[in-house]
Amino acid sequence: MAVASTGLGRRALAAQDPLSQYLDDRAALTTDVMGEVLRIDLPQLRYPGAWDPRPGAMQQLASELRLRTRLEPVREPTTVTATSRQLFDTPFLYVAGMSGMPTLGPEAEGQLRRFVDLGGLLVFDAADGGVDLQFERDVREMLTRVLPGSLLTRVARDHVLFRSFYIVDEPAGRTRTFDHVLGIQEEGRLKVLLLRNDLGGALARKPDGLPAYPCTPGGPIQREWAIRFAVNILLYATCTDYKSDRAHVETLLQSRNWR
Amino acid sequence: MTERWQLIAGFMPPTWAIVLLAVCALAASAEALWALQRDALPLPARLAILALRLLAIAGLFAVAFELSLAIDHVREYGPRVVVLVDDSASMGIADRAAPRGPATARVERVQAFFADERTRETLATWRARGIDVEFRAFAESTQVMEEVVAKTGDEPEPLPLTADKPASNLARALSRLVGDPGDAASASSALDPRPLAGVVIVSDGLVAEDDGADAALVQIARELETPLTTISAGAPHLRDISVTRVRAGEFAFVENISEFEVELVAHGLAGEQTVVELRRDGVIIASTPLRLAADGVVMPLRFEVAPDRTGQFVFEVVVHPASGEATTANNRWPFVVKVLRDKVRVLHVSGRPDWDVRALRTLMRKDPNVELLSYYILRGLDDSDREDRSAPLSLIAFPTDALFEEELGSFDLVILHNFDAVNHRVGRYLGNIAQYVQEGGALVVIGGDLGLATGDYRNPDLAAIMPVDIQVPTGLDTRPFRPRMTDAARRHPVTARLAEAGFTRWDGLPDLDSYNPIQANASTRSGLHATTLLERQSPDEPGTMPLLMTAEPGRGRVLVLATGSTWRLGFAADLPLVDGARPYDLLWLGVIRWLLRDASSERLTLETDRASYGTHAPVTLRATALSTSYAPEPEVGIHWLVRPLTRDGLDEGSAPGGADAIADAIARGEWTTDSLGRASETLDPLPAGSYEATARRIEPDTLAEPVDGEVGVKDTAPHARRVFLVREAGHELAWLDADPGRERLARLAEATGGVALALADAGAELPVDLPLRSDGAAEGQENVESRRQIALWDSWGALLLVLLGFAGEWLVRRQSGLR
Repeated sequence: MAVASTGLGRRALAAQDPLSQYLDDRAALTTDVMGEVLRIDLPQLRYPGAWDPRPGAMQQLASELRLRTRLEPVREPTTVTATSRQLFDTPFLYVAGMSGMPTLGPEAEGQLRRFVDLGGLLVFDAADGGVDLQFERDVREMLTRVLPGSLLTRVARDHVLFRSFYIVDEPAGRTRTFDHVLGIQEEGRLKVLLLRNDLGGALARKPDGLPAYPCTPGGPIQREWAIRFAVNILLYATCTDYKSDRAHVETLLQSRNWR
Repeated sequence: MTERWQLIAGFMPPTWAIVLLAVCALAASAEALWALQRDALPLPARLAILALRLLAIAGLFAVAFELSLAIDHVREYGPRVVVLVDDSASMGIADRAAPRGPATARVERVQAFFADERTRETLATWRARGIDVEFRAFAESTQVMEEVVAKTGDEPEPLPLTADKPASNLARALSRLVGDPGDAASASSALDPRPLAGVVIVSDGLVAEDDGADAALVQIARELETPLTTISAGAPHLRDISVTRVRAGEFAFVENISEFEVELVAHGLAGEQTVVELRRDGVIIASTPLRLAADGVVMPLRFEVAPDRTGQFVFEVVVHPASGEATTANNRWPFVVKVLRDKVRVLHVSGRPDWDVRALRTLMRKDPNVELLSYYILRGLDDSDREDRSAPLSLIAFPTDALFEEELGSFDLVILHNFDAVNHRVGRYLGNIAQYVQEGGALVVIGGDLGLATGDYRNPDLAAIMPVDIQVPTGLDTRPFRPRMTDAARRHPVTARLAEAGFTRWDGLPDLDSYNPIQANASTRSGLHATTLLERQSPDEPGTMPLLMTAEPGRGRVLVLATGSTWRLGFAADLPLVDGARPYDLLWLGVIRWLLRDASSERLTLETDRASYGTHAPVTLRATALSTSYAPEPEVGIHWLVRPLTRDGLDEGSAPGGADAIADAIARGEWTTDSLGRASETLDPLPAGSYEATARRIEPDTLAEPVDGEVGVKDTAPHARRVFLVREAGHELAWLDADPGRERLARLAEATGGVALALADAGAELPVDLPLRSDGAAEGQENVESRRQIALWDSWGALLLVLLGFAGEWLVRRQSGLR
């Protein structure tokens, strides 16, 4: 079960009265031992300028993750600056922007370099959705300083990012301007992701709970795919290439008669 | 012996001083002569004056040159002939001069030859000519046969040969004839005053492994500048099959096919059928029939083996003997192979992905030797109820039966990482996991908000092997804390590298922020060898609480880490790195190394002083015991034994053996370790074969029922094991055909101007006129046996002589009226 509890192992179900066994086991647990829960944060970078063009996007993603997966994100994701020690509280950082991103300065860029070197994942999200490429240009320029020699390249469609939870064909966001995402892939992992279809725009909600921005051209269906892709990003961040393990690939291929 | 006198100057002044002395002496002598002719003195007085002056001058010269008188005792020696006789194991082989003739051992043929009247007469003739004849036996080294040298040839006695040495090194034997300053035996040759005039080599000629060694041998023989007369002891007809070569790596990998290439050679058995077996620790694991080829034809074979477990094993290629074989010692070729893990199979199960799961997975994925199988629970029951069932998911079912029942034994390491076992139908397999550990598996339980926190490991079998109480849900405390290393942690392989890097007080390391308040399992802890490596200060009361504990139940190992936040040791703003490695890497690589029983993490080790022994060599076993905190452990009782892994011999008609043919222990005993945790035993030389030595700790829970009044130790107790070989003759007997040896000896004789004989030929006779050196060295020479030296200057006598010379002349002059 990478795994759904509904799956509960078809083989396990075939064993001796598994349901009663399960209920017995479950009842034996001390249900009042709650303790605390290990929660994960989805921090967003705060910087001078339009650092939060899609307010509430991470909050909504945390909510979707809680509803759809076993991850336990915090209800109120934090924001951090690049120079703060809190940057290293989580090896994941969401960086949104619109119409450009200012230079953060050597200290901040040094911290981001260390963040990535120690295993962190930077996710840049261009809120313009492909209309204005200034944010992308600024991110590219910053990355040449933070990770000199590293190249932003197209993340292949068969990358585990597209099947870390949902099987997703394209990286939809509020728009579908680009059919791919860019990333820096080194040492067997994605260090940086650059999303250009305004994923935050698809996630963000108004205070009344309704979507803050329409998804074009696909409407609600596109939004659902955008949410699924966002879920995949967090599952990739926590499980890395888990879904490319041989056992998973073979099982998936068999179940879909893909070979 | 004669005596010879000579004057020796002990000091040689500079040339100018010698010239000055000579001029002065001549002047003094001339002046004395001239003065005496001028004066009218009687002749005796003139002669006395002259003699006294010459005496004074001589005395001065004796002092100036420190003259001594040397008396030499000189002896004249005749030339020397060395007879080198091969005493290696191949000389014990019986072969035939004719196909149906009687088989005679080569060494017996040699002994008969030298006991023969004609040979003895020839030797007597040589000696009569002033030739000293010296017999030497050669094998790996050379030995002078004193008793033969001492004999004058009056009484025929067989040469004292045993023909059981493991190799014959003729090149070394020849080199020692002229002396090697670094070698004691050959140094005596270098000092031997008798000139080497000739060499006789008596051997089967099986003294070089290949053409390269052959050429080197000829070169060494030529450098002697002495004719080599060779006598081949072999005969052309032989009945034998031998394993001549086995190509096998020193290491193999579990579940990977290793190839062992075998070459066999037979003589006199063409067309006969035999069986070739491959055995591991005495048990046949493969066999193949073989029809034997013509004489000397190399028959290649190949065995493919996929070892099923790690360890050190004796493999052995064994050929069933044919009737009437010259020897069966060459029908087997044992070799030791160390089987290693190719890839470590790790099962990583997590109840919820988080940064700790990510960090551990990333670390293990970096290691190409780890085959990682991960199952992470990505969606719970309630999640799936909310899910759009049409959404294409990449989730797969959790194959609990396959993982925890069918395949569990195939994993080297199982990691339960913040895993709520009961929720996912694994609760009923916890007993399997306990048994897996007891049988040698490794288990890691990592804390978090599931599993330990929720009491998901509540199983009596599992509880019995855990160093902590897992029956009680611990909950989770997320207050940051700074762990502390215990004393044991400084030496324990899990934490030793962190300690070496200076993190014993956690200085510079990030705080951890999740903790399952576990309690040590007091009821079973003593039998588990439980050790606490990390602990934390109790936040609510005085005292400490365990954070990282290890245990060694049965044959397995268990580690419990009561936090899900060690990932922070690899991700922090000011994280100190140690040679580029993060503290997280140091900790977890130590964990994995210890759990997988890396050699350096064993607490009981057993070593032999060598991997292979001769049949005359004692065998030394050494054991070292370490405590659970990896400090030397004194006063540990260790039960040890040595047993053969193969049967003693392959006698004709014996059936192929198996495990049931393995004999009982041939030596056993008990040790108590010293203050440094050491113990050792030296065994008397063992017969040829392969052996297994094992050592087991004697502890209350490992004692078995007494047998014959002796207390034994259960086979299931953790043990250390070594295998070793005792070889009778190395590979000396791999090639036995005498024909190549005879040709080799003939080439040596031809290259050095000697003659070649073969004992198998009718009428072979030692030549009366043995080819000797023709450059005069064979004429003999004088040798100074001793010298006595008398100093002429360094005594009162010399001084008195000088005074007498000067004072006497003065007195004579005065009495003669001269001034």
